[in-house]
Amino acid sequence: MSSLDERRAGFQRYKQDVKTRGKPFYPYAMFHDTVMSLVVVCVIAGLAVIWKYWDVLGTTLGPKADPGTTSFVPRPDWYFYFLFYLLRIFKWPESVILATIGIPTIALVLLLVIPFVDLRRERRLSRRPVAVVAAALTVVSMGVLTYKGATAQEAIASEVEAAIPSWAQKEGFAGNKEALAGAKLFAESACVSCHTYLGTGSSNLGAPDLTAEGAKGKGIQFQIDHLKCPSCVNPGSPMPSFADLGESNLRKLATFLEASKGPK
Amino acid sequence: MARKRSARQEAMQRAVMYPLDWLEERSGLVGATRYFLFRKVPGDTSWWHTLGSATLTAFLVQLVTGVILAMYYKPDPRSAHASIEHIQHDLTLGWLVRGMHRWGASVFIILMFMHMGRVFLFGAYKYPRELNWIIGVLLLATGLFEGLTGYLLPYDQTAYWATVVAININGTAPFVGPYLATLLRGGAEIGPDVLARFYSLHMLLVPGALIGLIGLHLYLVVRLGVSSPPWSRDAAGRDPDPEPPPVRSGLVQPGPRAAGVRRRPAE
Amino acid sequence: MEDRPGDDRPQLPPPSLWPVGFAVGIVCLLVGLVVSWPAAAVGAALAVVFGFLWAREVATGRAQVAGPPPAEPSPDAPAIPAHRGEAAMPEPEPGERFPRSKFLEGATLGLGGVIGAIVTLPAAGFAVLPGFLKQKAHEVDVGPLTDFEENKWKLVTFLRDPSEGEISRRTAYIRNNGLLDGKPSFTVISNRCAHLGCPVQPGGPLFPKQEKTVKTDNGEVQVTPMLPAAGFICPCHGGAYDQEGNRTAGPPVRGLDRYEFSIRNGRLILGNTFSVGKVVGSGKDARIKRYELTGPGQHVDGIESWLYPLQPPH
Repeated sequence: MSSLDERRAGFQRYKQDVKTRGKPFYPYAMFHDTVMSLVVVCVIAGLAVIWKYWDVLGTTLGPKADPGTTSFVPRPDWYFYFLFYLLRIFKWPESVILATIGIPTIALVLLLVIPFVDLRRERRLSRRPVAVVAAALTVVSMGVLTYKGATAQEAIASEVEAAIPSWAQKEGFAGNKEALAGAKLFAESACVSCHTYLGTGSSNLGAPDLTAEGAKGKGIQFQIDHLKCPSCVNPGSPMPSFADLGESNLRKLATFLEASKGPK
Repeated sequence: MARKRSARQEAMQRAVMYPLDWLEERSGLVGATRYFLFRKVPGDTSWWHTLGSATLTAFLVQLVTGVILAMYYKPDPRSAHASIEHIQHDLTLGWLVRGMHRWGASVFIILMFMHMGRVFLFGAYKYPRELNWIIGVLLLATGLFEGLTGYLLPYDQTAYWATVVAININGTAPFVGPYLATLLRGGAEIGPDVLARFYSLHMLLVPGALIGLIGLHLYLVVRLGVSSPPWSRDAAGRDPDPEPPPVRSGLVQPGPRAAGVRRRPAE
Repeated sequence: MEDRPGDDRPQLPPPSLWPVGFAVGIVCLLVGLVVSWPAAAVGAALAVVFGFLWAREVATGRAQVAGPPPAEPSPDAPAIPAHRGEAAMPEPEPGERFPRSKFLEGATLGLGGVIGAIVTLPAAGFAVLPGFLKQKAHEVDVGPLTDFEENKWKLVTFLRDPSEGEISRRTAYIRNNGLLDGKPSFTVISNRCAHLGCPVQPGGPLFPKQEKTVKTDNGEVQVTPMLPAAGFICPCHGGAYDQEGNRTAGPPVRGLDRYEFSIRNGRLILGNTFSVGKVVGSGKDARIKRYELTGPGQHVDGIESWLYPLQPPH
């Protein structure tokens, strides 16, 4: 920890050094700045062009806002994905406030407090282990959270239903009417809110991927019993009961699940 | 650099300098610009130091494209979406201005984070630049809020629902949360005034705050100077080199070790 | 008119009426150009005569008026540094106070504060308060009771406040529970998740082919039959609710909000929304623990509810 006098003396030396050995900002440093600024403007314009002419950056404008919709899953702008994914990690009601307010506020306070905690004059990275480790941890964790937020899947009933023909082809149940009807029920019953299937849907509350559910050989009766009372068959399961769908609908769903043996 | 100038060149120089001198005498602005341009900075500034001005450039792109967009955007829930469609598809180069504004926001935020990381790793938040660091963190938070308010403006499904969730997230803050959420929404529910409220924040209040903070930030950079990279052997302000050891003649016993011999780590 | 060299005293002519007459003449001339030619002629004459008299007086007067020679510019005074000089307050003599300057200081700050308050308080109030004033109760007619068969769920979409337009569009899940003590009992559940406000999906199929559009006083209402077998599931973070709106799984902090309802002229009318802690029982036997409307993510019961002691008015 350096005393205030040492830091003041250091700054005086800095000013002296700059006065004697420094170079004028223009043109030496300003040249670098200008080049970089040109790069930035070109990148922005380039991204705008790509956005218009290719699909890789997403749609330019979605459908008009519908506050009464039942089939939309919100997402923030990409730079909030790390917070967005935090909300998926903290999935217990008591912990929600940590993800919404707690962690971001703590992070902001830590950032503000850095110059008052780190009072050493040392600036070389090789002698600042805490700073380097903290920076690496922050970058890695924010990068991972952002990536996971970006790839987190969700699905809307209408999107999922539109995917059924391709499912039928990939899984090979195109000729099975019961399975096709079951797939439609699967899409409509919000199953994909927690389960993933062939790349669509979200993964929430530990629900398993159902792409190859049929390959596990559990049988149609098991599936029906499970749908009627998931926590009876699988203790501790948070899945709700679908008994009210009725026997024939449950049979269709079970057929679909058993026909899903994984992509061919 | 004494070059012989013809009388004609002398006259031309005087003509060019005349308006500048006029301005300088009455305002001092020319001198201030000269000071800013020709001030000394350490000779070892690297490309890493360009991230700050790159962020400023991105912000200026946002300002210019935002002003142009504001001439065609209609901040009413009934016509906002249609006005954006109009900008995107009908107006000449509207798609380019809108695209640059939307992606400029992302670039601005990325550059802010990179600049912050660079300043942190260079230790450029230490004395006497602590205040500048704090202003920088405030700029980050304000810039993110600007992105949040701007996200609602196209008023499509993504915009509306992301804003619903964002406001509710703010609402979960203890004690003040519900009031903060009501303040942002202008009511208990998202109503017809939310869009205009967010527009006013996005166009007037937050850019004003950003411009003010950036002005302070730049003032401090000019006043306190740019730091050298920490790895530079020639860094400005490094600790003085240790004294060389005293010469030993060999004919007399060496005396006790002088204090200055032990090397101190250079900073 | 060229000044004599060194003559930089302001010119002070003796009082004279000629300029007045000249001005009157000019005015008459200009007015007359608009109103009537005779007046213009009179004005022109006046201007010429008085102008001539004025000019003559000035030309002869200068020769007569001779002031003292101008003083030499004072020798260079020492340059006053910018931070001192007349601009600064003189130091008080020992033993002297400046009660008047203190009063002026206080008055300046006080008046500045008052002016600031007059400007900012109404503006801030205008920006902040409307959101906090009591919102008017909205009643929404969602159609005749005959559209709601007993024990069948319907997905109903309506405009909460038609004057606000599409932005007030909302969706409710409604089930007719039959009669309770002779009066119809309905379960009316809001479709905004209690975690963070995402739209919740029914855990079962919709039957869009049987959708009905009902024309009411508050615009068109869409009524679609559905079968939420598993209750309601939120796709954002996997929050799950049963058919009474109780939370069964996931991060929501309480059950789904409900709408008050009433029956008028055989039609179902929806009222204000309220928040729900827990619902015991189901259908018409349900007992609902009711709270004032609270935002998503905010606890209404349990120990965490002390984090949200006050709610803004609704």
